[in-house]
Amino acid sequence: MISVIKIFFAFLFIWIGTVTLVAQNPFEDQFNYARQLYDEEKYFDAVTEFKRLLFFYEGDNYNYKSNLLIGLSYKEGAKFSEAIQHLTLAELNSKNIDEVFIARLEIIKVNILRRTTGRALTLLDSLQNDLKFTGKSDEINYWRGWAYIFSDDWENASSSFSAIQANHQLAVFCDSLDKDLYSVQLAKILSIVPGAGQFYTDEYVSGIISIGWNVLWGYLTINAFMEDRVFDGLMVGTLLWWRFYSGNLQNAEKFAIEKNLEKTNASLRYLQYYYFGNKP
Amino acid sequence: MRKIVPIFFLIPLFALSQSTSFEFHSPENIKKFADNLFCEGDYLRAIEQFELINEKLDDDTVKFKIMLGYSELGFFSESNEIFKGINDKSIFYPDAYLLSFKNQLISEPGLISASSINSFNSLQLKSFNKLNAISMLYGDEFNISRENFISPFDGDEQNSISTFYNYKVEPPYKSPALAGTLSAIIPGSGKIYVGEWGDGITSLLATGLLAFLAYDNFRADHTTRAWIFTGLGAFFYAGNIYGSIASAQIFNARIDFEFNNGLKLFLKEQNYFLPEYDFCN
Repeated sequence: MISVIKIFFAFLFIWIGTVTLVAQNPFEDQFNYARQLYDEEKYFDAVTEFKRLLFFYEGDNYNYKSNLLIGLSYKEGAKFSEAIQHLTLAELNSKNIDEVFIARLEIIKVNILRRTTGRALTLLDSLQNDLKFTGKSDEINYWRGWAYIFSDDWENASSSFSAIQANHQLAVFCDSLDKDLYSVQLAKILSIVPGAGQFYTDEYVSGIISIGWNVLWGYLTINAFMEDRVFDGLMVGTLLWWRFYSGNLQNAEKFAIEKNLEKTNASLRYLQYYYFGNKP
Repeated sequence: MRKIVPIFFLIPLFALSQSTSFEFHSPENIKKFADNLFCEGDYLRAIEQFELINEKLDDDTVKFKIMLGYSELGFFSESNEIFKGINDKSIFYPDAYLLSFKNQLISEPGLISASSINSFNSLQLKSFNKLNAISMLYGDEFNISRENFISPFDGDEQNSISTFYNYKVEPPYKSPALAGTLSAIIPGSGKIYVGEWGDGITSLLATGLLAFLAYDNFRADHTTRAWIFTGLGAFFYAGNIYGSIASAQIFNARIDFEFNNGLKLFLKEQNYFLPEYDFCN
């Protein structure tokens, strides 16, 4: 008789265990469904389902993961303010240092993307100064490099990547671009000699036209003064020569800025499509 | 024993099935979730969820929230489409009517010919009269006395509304023809008439100087230079007339822009004279 009861309880134990295993937790199902939508890049629906889970689930098991994935979904949809709001909630609900670090890095990446790079750098500084993250300096430097890239500060970007590894791929890339950029200041200084700034920025036609105008009006001005037609000289000198001379200075500066912008945009495009490492 | 065994098996099964099932997508839960999204200000998702249950529940609160959500998102025509489905016996109908008025005023600014409805309470009637008066400001024809126009508005609002009334009745436009004529007579005076003193004086000096240089060079028999300065002078003179006409037109466009923008800001500050609907507390 005892053995029958024992067998019965053993069966009961196994049965309950099996039922418990088989019966799915609906909240876990909901999380998995939302996660699946996220993986399928259906970000709008993923956010809806994560929010549904967070609304109905009374515990805090899903607060970190769901808020993190909501934030990442918003980021993918370029809703950066909403992304930061949920990533901050994820950070507040994190249960260990690694989760804090992940959430904060994501906040930094969103700040980089929306070009609030000052805020990104401040957050990176706070991570670097926090003793809890001393082992993460490579990652911090890596994202600092990206923050500098998006602030158009290629020299500092290169230094940050070099701090990880002397010949880091991105350090070499930033260095080469930095060397390739025109110095706006030098373009302006060279333009003291009309056309020289334009030649420096490879705008040869513009340079020749600039020389032509300045020679013409310069000659007429000097000629007027030499023939004692002081009034004519003053008028031609101020209304024409000076106009073209100052235009030449502004022109050289404008070319340098425009060309630098073209180069940096081309570099960012290159990084977007052909760099396969981590990107913001 | 035989009777007890099935009970033993069924109890945990029943208990587990109770604890592990949750209907996320029952109409009640969808409504709860949608209400929460609405209160969070996530109107797009809230509307999506409300739409799922709208037909099943046939609830005017839901319809009104969808209408309000669309309006908040700036989808005014969609918002007014929802209004068509709200029953005129509904408690929300007067508010929805006012909201549709607001939507129309934003999406197609112009005189709106709408009549008051019997179900308005005194506050709603007041809002309706105010919106009606505002819509007149957007119309082409405007012949109403100041007293009648500002009468629906409260004390504080009347000052602002008076300013808009003045703009509408006597817009401080500048005549492009007069600006051009003035500049043809005295270079730069058209610009000064438009209020651009700096440009006016510069035009006068530049045209005067070039005319003098042309005259001086003709007098000294430097004909080539004289013709260059004559050409430049004529160019400046014509450019100055054209510039004066353009300045007057730009001035008038700015007046229209400031009027429309100012009115829009004023209405936004006043929430288009509609109450703040609080569904969240």
